[in-house]
Amino acid sequence: MSVFTRSQAERESLLLPELAELTAHHRANSAGYERILASLGIAADASFGAIAELPWLPVRMFKTHDLKSVPDDEVFKTLTSSGTTGAGASRIHLDKAAAGAQTKQLGATLQEVLGGERLPMLMVDTIGIIKNRRSFSARGAGVLGMANFGRKHTYVLDEDDKPDVEAVKRFLAEYGDKPFLIFGFTFMVWQYLYEVAREHRLDLSNGILIHSGGWKKLIDRAVDNAEFRRRFTEDTGLHRIHNYYGMIEQIGTVFLEGPSGNSLYCPDFADVVIRDPETWQEQPVGRPGVIEVVSTLPRSYPGHVLLTEDLGVYQGIDDGDWPGKHFTVLGRLPKAEARGCSDTFSGTAA
Amino acid sequence: MEQRFPAAAPIAADTLLAQVREEPPGGRLTVGDPRVVEFVTKFARKLLAPALARRFPELTSLGFFLRKGELAKALSTLETAGTALRFPRGLVFHVPPANVDTIFVYSWALSALAGNPNVVRVSSRSAGAAEVVLEALNSALGDVSPETAATIRATQRMVTYDRSDEISGALSRAADLRVIWGGDASVAALRKYPLAPHARDLTFPDRSSFAIASVRGWQEATPEARLSAAEGFYNDSYWFDQAACSSPRAVFWVGDAEGARAAGTEFRQLLGQVLAAKHHVVEPAMAVQKRVSAYGAAIDGLVSSIRFDGNALATLELADATVLPREWLGAGTFANARVGSLDELVSIVQRKDQTVSQFGFTATELTGFVTALAGRGVDRVVPFGSALTFAGVWDGYDLLAEFSRLVTVQA
Repeated sequence: MSVFTRSQAERESLLLPELAELTAHHRANSAGYERILASLGIAADASFGAIAELPWLPVRMFKTHDLKSVPDDEVFKTLTSSGTTGAGASRIHLDKAAAGAQTKQLGATLQEVLGGERLPMLMVDTIGIIKNRRSFSARGAGVLGMANFGRKHTYVLDEDDKPDVEAVKRFLAEYGDKPFLIFGFTFMVWQYLYEVAREHRLDLSNGILIHSGGWKKLIDRAVDNAEFRRRFTEDTGLHRIHNYYGMIEQIGTVFLEGPSGNSLYCPDFADVVIRDPETWQEQPVGRPGVIEVVSTLPRSYPGHVLLTEDLGVYQGIDDGDWPGKHFTVLGRLPKAEARGCSDTFSGTAA
Repeated sequence: MEQRFPAAAPIAADTLLAQVREEPPGGRLTVGDPRVVEFVTKFARKLLAPALARRFPELTSLGFFLRKGELAKALSTLETAGTALRFPRGLVFHVPPANVDTIFVYSWALSALAGNPNVVRVSSRSAGAAEVVLEALNSALGDVSPETAATIRATQRMVTYDRSDEISGALSRAADLRVIWGGDASVAALRKYPLAPHARDLTFPDRSSFAIASVRGWQEATPEARLSAAEGFYNDSYWFDQAACSSPRAVFWVGDAEGARAAGTEFRQLLGQVLAAKHHVVEPAMAVQKRVSAYGAAIDGLVSSIRFDGNALATLELADATVLPREWLGAGTFANARVGSLDELVSIVQRKDQTVSQFGFTATELTGFVTALAGRGVDRVVPFGSALTFAGVWDGYDLLAEFSRLVTVQA
């Protein structure tokens, strides 16, 4: 069952009623969310003509306030992540149903490129990242979440964060002649897997790489997505490469790079809106703006329509590998800085 | 330490302190010392050069503040009567804020005019305007007589140094008065360094400010006066991204509900016109920040309605006029409420409240309001457009008086 089937028109006709119902559900069950919409003057029985007309929340709201649509005693799991902005940690509350739904839909999304079987899996990380189960970094959570989709996990880095070339060679000797899964964060995949594989002439041609985490750390190496793909293919044979874009505030929803690369696609239960930061109207194809992510998964907290702090641009609509909108991420919004009497900089006075 | 003014080679704190403690050429500085007046006047002239004024409007205000006539007026407040004589306080160590480029000059100039040797710590992150000020100070040394220049060089120092317990400690121990700007965090950081037993701190902690507008005053005002109120309010609020301590964060309309609604609507429209005319641009990150703050205030139950007029202006109607957010909510975000009379505001004022910008009230009404406050808070009441205008009396202190001391003589 593919989840990359719906045209944009189908999304509007099928997702919009679901999202409108979710909006009403969150208004009825989250006092904070209701207060926001009420103070914006959005009537309780408001109807929405398009996905882009749904009210959005800045993703940072989940760092500053606890927003949830389930009673305390039904919270099954609270995810916390500290973002890179230093504004504290997001707190995302899941009940049993939401926790189940996010795992299921992430699986359905990845099945598109992995097939139905669990594949042998190379983790481009150290096992240490998931050792301390009490406090997870975002990286640890990512590794752990992805581990479910593979078997025979082999970690590319040893306990001292050094590439374990022998372990990788053993893995490839055993599983390298059939499809296998590779997972890691973009910069680590480049630094530890690409460079090691090129140096040791490893054959990754049967690999399927799933990676995420952005390009900031690779900018000074002049590596962008196209370069990343080209060199992996030329130097290691790896050609099935899928970047994805997702965030803890919309856990379970990932926007996945299509087979021909350089464009992210929305699964059938999700959508994306690129907004002009001046007017907040939707941008046409080719015009950059702020990325809004839309998903029907968040039912236990009002995170179904979120304005991210990333910039992106539509590459096209209904004209790519899979139906619907497809887009690329251009980077983060620069930080807001204010001048003023009080030093907003910390630790500088002494 | 890097020596920014007078520009010179790096120096150790002890050496610098020994130098400013020496008897300066031409004799010790006095209160209102003509050598300092001469130097400051020449420096002010440089700030008022049209090319600079266009690039940094805040330097114009500074230049006006330091004109000869203004200095004479300020110094005249120090004249003593009877048996008291006034003298400089001693060595003053100034720690200005990192992110308002001109405060260090006001602080320094008033202290120098009171006859003190000064050490000013200029932030290493000081931006455009601060650099220009330091250039102007250094070049003003060439515009005064060699004798005056020698006295200024000997007694006045502006330095930059990275975080250092040793240097901050040495300067604090040596100071007769320590002046700390930059809010609560700066005050707490500097208080770690002991002062000499006789010495004192003059602190400028975190403050917040609000605006009041008279419905009756608005109704009686001409269209021109209303537009100029909006222009003044724009300068008060937007110049420093509304993060200056004296920029209003809330606006109270005082009068009847119907009149307040009409006046508020018109004021918002006029402010929108001013923002458009000034081509005011809001960075996307700031626009998002404003929404995070506004929605957060809604979640917290502080506001009943949120209105965005573009990215530049957000108006948050308070659910309860007596519960106002005092923290910074993003550039161009105003809590808004109506009260029947100024008396209703008395109980909400806190010690933290610094500036009340006002439109449309009479002096009698304002004096009545301040009298009713009975010292609860509020250090200054100014018309729209003057919130950011620095004055010799600041945060309740008469600065020249603080920078000097009295000696009484009885025969």
